Amino acid sequence: MKAPELVVSATPHIHSGNSVRKMMLSIIIALLPAVGMGCYLYGFAALKVIAISVISAVAWEAIFQKMMGREITVSDLSGAASGLIFAMLLPPTLPWWIIIIGTLLLILLGKEIYGGRGCNPFNGVLVAYVALQLSYPQQMIAWAIPEGDLMTEFPPLQVLRDEGVSSLAMYFTNKDLLLGIPIIGAIGEVSKVALLLGGIFLIIRRTISWYIPASFLLGMVIFSGIFWLSDAEQYASPVFHLLAGGGFLAAFFLATDPTTSPVTKPGMIIYGLLCGVLAMIIRMWSQWIDGAYFAIFIISMLTPLLDKIKPRVYGRVKASVSS
Amino acid sequence: MSAGSFSGGIRLSISDVSANKPFERIIPSGVVTIPLRQDLGGVCNAKVKKGDEVKVGQVIGESATPEGASIHATVSGKVAEVIKAYPHLLGGFVPAVVIESDGKDEWVGLESSADPLTTIQQAGIVDFDIKPVPLVAKLNEAKSRRANALIVNAMDIEPVLSSRSRLLSERVQEVACGIDTIKSIIGAASVYIAVDENAAQAISAIGSACGGAATIVGLNPKYPQAIDLLLVKSILGKEVPCTEAYCVADIGALVLSVETVAAVGRAMAEKKPVVDRFITVTRSNGTGAKNVQVRIGTPIREVLGHCGISVEGMGKVISGGPMMGTAIANTETPVTKEVLGIFVQHEKDITRFDAAVCIKCGLCVEICPVGLMPFIISGFSEKGMYSKAQDNDIFTCIECGCCAYVCPVMIPMVHWIKFGKAQIMAQRSSE
Ligand code: SF4
Ligand code: SF4
Repeated sequence: MKAPELVVSATPHIHSGNSVRKMMLSIIIALLPAVGMGCYLYGFAALKVIAISVISAVAWEAIFQKMMGREITVSDLSGAASGLIFAMLLPPTLPWWIIIIGTLLLILLGKEIYGGRGCNPFNGVLVAYVALQLSYPQQMIAWAIPEGDLMTEFPPLQVLRDEGVSSLAMYFTNKDLLLGIPIIGAIGEVSKVALLLGGIFLIIRRTISWYIPASFLLGMVIFSGIFWLSDAEQYASPVFHLLAGGGFLAAFFLATDPTTSPVTKPGMIIYGLLCGVLAMIIRMWSQWIDGAYFAIFIISMLTPLLDKIKPRVYGRVKASVSS
Repeated sequence: MSAGSFSGGIRLSISDVSANKPFERIIPSGVVTIPLRQDLGGVCNAKVKKGDEVKVGQVIGESATPEGASIHATVSGKVAEVIKAYPHLLGGFVPAVVIESDGKDEWVGLESSADPLTTIQQAGIVDFDIKPVPLVAKLNEAKSRRANALIVNAMDIEPVLSSRSRLLSERVQEVACGIDTIKSIIGAASVYIAVDENAAQAISAIGSACGGAATIVGLNPKYPQAIDLLLVKSILGKEVPCTEAYCVADIGALVLSVETVAAVGRAMAEKKPVVDRFITVTRSNGTGAKNVQVRIGTPIREVLGHCGISVEGMGKVISGGPMMGTAIANTETPVTKEVLGIFVQHEKDITRFDAAVCIKCGLCVEICPVGLMPFIISGFSEKGMYSKAQDNDIFTCIECGCCAYVCPVMIPMVHWIKFGKAQIMAQRSSE
């Protein structure tokens, strides 16, 4: 009997099977309800934006990796997932060439220029989003009109800005806002139910933890709640702020980007709260009607600082004893 | 009594391959190879030479220090050879005695002694845990630090192993006798038996045997609960101050494996030294899982043969469990006091870790049972920045492997952490 060649290597000898590919696949699956709603509302136009965004993101990724002599890693699906999330932020009318510029920035500035996966200081999707908002502001708010009994041709937050709190009840019920039918907005952000389903799926699959989404939404509620309680005539209710705009998409799918968010539970909770609060500040007092995405972009600069908050180490003794 | 858990840790997907089955006895038929070092105490001096006749239980290696554990013949027969340099399980070379069995299994018992510590020393008892320390050394340390809580650890270190809970249910008398002995040696005021809360059989068996003498603590078998640092935290609610050389006796506790306690009971009541190990043999696909009572020195090949595990497609053989065990190079390696179990992996089940870039997902931080930032200490060790690794408490790491287990990019963090610790120690000793 021949003795087998045995492998000798370090511990542990087993692995959970978790991988970047699995995480990205979960994200893609989690976005399917939102994709479905986008296509239901905007039909072929939405599908086209999504397809262009995903395909071009994957293509740019392959091209840059080839150019920079790195291993081609499109099979880990991170390019595809980024392209899909990016499409969720766009209006369905966006011309194809702007989308392709967007995904170029996404992959280049959000990933490859810093040395590939895991090295980027900013979430590529947000880099691309901010760049397009600044460069093509008109195209980025060229909303399409879905079919259905529409009371207004503007997204809820625009209505709030233009006509004030008193008119909101006339145009939107909470149920409409929750379902997203028929609400105007970016392809993936309008249906809160769809996003919530996806978010819960990600939490159950442990692709993300609940810390960031929960604290993000809590931050929004607390901040808008304070103003609403002080003057409900002038400030919209926290429920409206949760259900209008990009809070859900931002909290579940953008703020949870692993590389640019903190690594510890306390860090994540503070991060989420700060994002939620800043999102409301931008929403209430800036030129932008929604601040959810900008807020993450800005707060992620604090991540290195928040990562200094360490977990409590078991049996920690004062440094003087150990040295 | 139920007790608190700890944050982090994990329920491994592989837990259900465990074999909660009665022990089967394996008595080697041919030769046994008995290394003369089987614990952290040091190398024993050979007491036999080639051609000597030996009986089961006869001392063949005598400890060089009064605290060390003797080593005994585990079959009766003739010494075929005394090897000077036999490869040790954990690296390096030690002397070893090869005995050819005559198949008669003739015994010699231990000499009676008034002092139980002498009996324990002569019976060659070590604490059968990840790091087997001679029991006398451990008891002396506990005594000198006035440990007043004895914790009998009947929880298996890794979830695929079941030998400890099995042993508790099958050998209650030995365990009860061992508890009495150890309790009176160290003067412990309280005794706890830590057991997997699902091991109902073991719980009821020990409950009726021990009466009120010990508190039985059922614990959630989340890995790595059975490691002593986490055990004392769950049971006594105290943390061991983690300096580089920490010791649970610092908080007045003595944690001993149930196999150790049973060995003490056997030495006291039956005058028998340690010649057997009680271990679980498992395979990554769950087939052939068994609990075996096997003589020390038996080649692992023979144990696998008994369990019907063929070498066909075998990729890795691990002494211990899949999370913390040591991969061995050769199935001729004998079972020793260091072997906590045997886990066999098929070639295609072998996990290959990689030199990847951390994506800072934080999963390792979330899972670490002692609150470390694994990716940081691993990263510093990899880059040779050892003082930074120390600032981040590298020595608190219990090497449980949870971090590497969950990492989506499969960074071999435990490898780097062990490497870093070794480098720091080497630097120290060269200074
Ligand atoms: S191996 Fe060390 S760093 Fe990793 S999870 Fe276990 S204790 Fe924490
Ligand atoms: S689990 Fe792996 S990828 Fe995630 S933070 Fe830890 S080392 Fe980095």
